[in-house]
Amino acid sequence: MQTPEGIVPAMHNETAAFPQDPQDHNQIDRQLLLERQKDRPFILVVTRNGHLSEHVMEYAVNVAHRLQYGILAVHVDTLPLFHDRGKRSKLFAAAMRESEALFNRKAHNKEVVVEHLGETGKIGGVVSRLCHAKKRIEFVVVDKGIRVQEVARQSPVPVFPVITTQSGQCSKTIFHNPKEKGVFAMSTTSRKRHVKNCFLFGALTSGLYAAVFVNQDVVMTYFTKGGAFALLPVATVFAVSYFHGNFTSAFWSALGIEASKKTAAQRVEADQPVKEGVVAPRPDARPRLQVNV
Amino acid sequence: MHGPISEVIQFIDLNAYTITFLFIVGFIGGLVSGFIGSGGAFVLTPGMMSLGVPGTVAVASNMCHKFPKALVGSIKRYKYGQVDIKLGLIMGVFAEIGVQVGIMLQKHILDKWGQAGSNLYVSIVFVMVLVIVGSFVMRDAVKMKQAGNESAPGTSLAKRLQQIELWPMVTLKTANLRISMWFLLPVAIATGMLAATIAVGGFIGVPGLMYIIGATSIVASATELVIAFVMGLGGTLIWAYYGMVDIRLVMIILAGSLFGVQLGAIGTTYVKDYMIKYVMATIMLIVAVSRFFAIPKYLNQLHLISLADNLENIMTKLSFAIMCFALLVGASIILASLFKARSQEKAAAVTG
Repeated sequence: MQTPEGIVPAMHNETAAFPQDPQDHNQIDRQLLLERQKDRPFILVVTRNGHLSEHVMEYAVNVAHRLQYGILAVHVDTLPLFHDRGKRSKLFAAAMRESEALFNRKAHNKEVVVEHLGETGKIGGVVSRLCHAKKRIEFVVVDKGIRVQEVARQSPVPVFPVITTQSGQCSKTIFHNPKEKGVFAMSTTSRKRHVKNCFLFGALTSGLYAAVFVNQDVVMTYFTKGGAFALLPVATVFAVSYFHGNFTSAFWSALGIEASKKTAAQRVEADQPVKEGVVAPRPDARPRLQVNV
Repeated sequence: MHGPISEVIQFIDLNAYTITFLFIVGFIGGLVSGFIGSGGAFVLTPGMMSLGVPGTVAVASNMCHKFPKALVGSIKRYKYGQVDIKLGLIMGVFAEIGVQVGIMLQKHILDKWGQAGSNLYVSIVFVMVLVIVGSFVMRDAVKMKQAGNESAPGTSLAKRLQQIELWPMVTLKTANLRISMWFLLPVAIATGMLAATIAVGGFIGVPGLMYIIGATSIVASATELVIAFVMGLGGTLIWAYYGMVDIRLVMIILAGSLFGVQLGAIGTTYVKDYMIKYVMATIMLIVAVSRFFAIPKYLNQLHLISLADNLENIMTKLSFAIMCFALLVGASIILASLFKARSQEKAAAVTG
């Protein structure tokens, strides 16, 4: 049952937000609503606790209501193999059921559909897998007790923690760029940081150069000995490329000389998937047996 | 100086002129490399030789400076989405074979004909490759510019080769093409051989990637940096095994060239495709003229021709001046187009 990520889907308990109503017309309404909700985007709400915090539920329900989104609430048991003869798991499942019922009630008032899911494993892995399996997850809301960085590192969509203060709840927006590639990863850091890096790596580079040139004679004696000593110049230039490379990169960025945003953005868009060559089927030239009746 | 070959090799003494010269040449060479994928080395090998560095040490030190520069440049250009790592690594590994062949050839020549013979061989290979490939690339760049075409979708030769389904086929996502491994092989081996001989594989590698494999000049020049890194590392280990790498020269050149390579890589995001070809061809052709004037000196040293001392001096100086001119022209075109495009973009951002 072990998946490649090491996560075992534990319980799939998908229920709509609406309580089981015996009346037929309510049943039909619910089905219609579910049909409509099928293509809707989702908000992924993740918790590692048995009970999802109420303010997180309220926040998610409010946002989903406004945006006409659905909610996918996931309880992640991060310690499924805890040595207590399954006691913790049982408690977790019980708490989860209570939490689900509460969430359903809250969602029902705002006519929002909630799907529940119980998972085990690491939070980041679960989020990553769900986002890839369910394509329409727009963003992730994490409950207290989950480190945003841990989730953000593996999430292909933005991650938001909901933080409560004494005066009420507030949501803090932390934007996470999933693919640090292209110009999007650049220019987001401030000039100040480039200046800092410039000085840091500048100092390190100077140190390295000083060490080599002050001891020039010794260095030249050993570095040109050949044989296994060949690793000395190679290791030195690797160090130079790291320190001096970072220094020069920060140097130009600090001066404000960076890549063209326009061209790089266009280039990223222009990338088309390579079409695999279609191989024509080989003609079947095998001899045939003919039966004359 | 205890290596098997370095007994006969003299390492030069450093002075302010040497350091300044190498730093500046390193910077401009790096700028050119970052932009067209190679080229720093072709300027630096003769540059070092003109300072009195023996040809073999010049080539060895050059190769040793090339791979960290290529590493920094390729990481930078990878961030811009221009590098096809798969293509670069495949080509790089096969280019290593070419490098081994090239090194054996170079050693053989050094043993047989000595320093002057080695220098002559390097110069002749330089002139031939630069003239033939340079004029072809220039013709293409001018055509593209006249047609107002920003990026050619690949030559007819490349297209034809891509249609041949010969196992094993390689799908290259960034380069956006699919081609048989058998066509990558000869380009890679030729690149490696040239790299081992004159420390610039890129003058075969980049045009090969553009005209035979069918990559755009942006992707070709960026991927060449990966190839340069792979074979530069392998080549350096071998040259260093023979104790011929002068780490002082390498570090001075790197000090300048890493500034250049960053700027050159940034420049590629601003210019049109034909600009890379144009810069490449211009530099190649001017340097070819420069090296042409250096050949009589080595012929004289080998007593193949007799040349008056003052004439030899004039030709050496002329060769050097033309090489400096090539450097300045290349660097000026890159910097001018970079800053022009940058100010245009800024102006557009303000008005838009």
